[in-house]
Amino acid sequence: MAEEQLLLSGDSPWSGGVSPFGVKWNKLMMWMFIITDALIFAGLLASYGFARLASDRWPDPAEIFHLSFLALMTFILISSSATMASAVGAARECHWTAATRFVLLTILGGLAFLGCQAYEWASLIGEGARLSSNPWGVVPFGSYFFVLTGFHGTHVLSGVVVLAITAFRSATGRSSADGIEVAGLYWHFVDLVWVFIFTLFYLI
Amino acid sequence: MHKTHTGLNYRLYWSTWLVLLALTVTMILIGSAPIPRLYVVLLLGLAMLAKASLISGYFMHLRFERSVLVWTVGAGILLTGAILFIIIVPDGLRIMKLSRP
Repeated sequence: MAEEQLLLSGDSPWSGGVSPFGVKWNKLMMWMFIITDALIFAGLLASYGFARLASDRWPDPAEIFHLSFLALMTFILISSSATMASAVGAARECHWTAATRFVLLTILGGLAFLGCQAYEWASLIGEGARLSSNPWGVVPFGSYFFVLTGFHGTHVLSGVVVLAITAFRSATGRSSADGIEVAGLYWHFVDLVWVFIFTLFYLI
Repeated sequence: MHKTHTGLNYRLYWSTWLVLLALTVTMILIGSAPIPRLYVVLLLGLAMLAKASLISGYFMHLRFERSVLVWTVGAGILLTGAILFIIIVPDGLRIMKLSRP
């Protein structure tokens, strides 16, 4: 009986208390999701690294991709992360109009990034690159390009949808600062993953 | 209570944005610089980790969260990532040896 009361009151050292991490459950769950999603990308990047090391030769990315165009894509994504962080800051200070505008700017950044990616895919497909073959003679190169950037692009698209819902809720006064922050965490994660793909696939 | 970030102003976010842009430009320059390949990889790796730290620390506010959350996220990714590599790498190396005469 005494033990039951202890558990209900949250005083037990094993109960975790009311909020052991000092954050609300939705934010904590987003962090847990980010950890697991990061592992999927880590697995993909690890297998890409292995395929590249195991391959006798690998095409020089600088000869295939336009680095200035990739720099533009990175600029767009980093800028959208900054606008998203500003949206969270505005929401925390209850400046809902500013928060909605910043979220809309972030969506614009996401759409611009997706447009750039679609252009890049179209260019490579136009040159004959496919999942199972490409003109550069190293099959895994094309496979990893489409899988890595495609998986990341799917995340960007999901993020745009989540942000569109967030913007609508914010504009109609139904969103909370916590809700915007959780959506923002996902968006920053998408940016974070791009940092690794940009470096490991396009630059090295 | 964890440290709240209500008081943070936009200057912090946009300063972080500027540093991230500067790092991106630096990385592109390093990538095409006439320096040994090993140094290129090392420098790009360091810049990549710096960018990841800035995004997670300031944009994702991890720097302002309770240390227990920071450790959970950090250890969660690093430990499970390490396990992933420990499982994949030996098999990968074995396949590489088998595929080469």
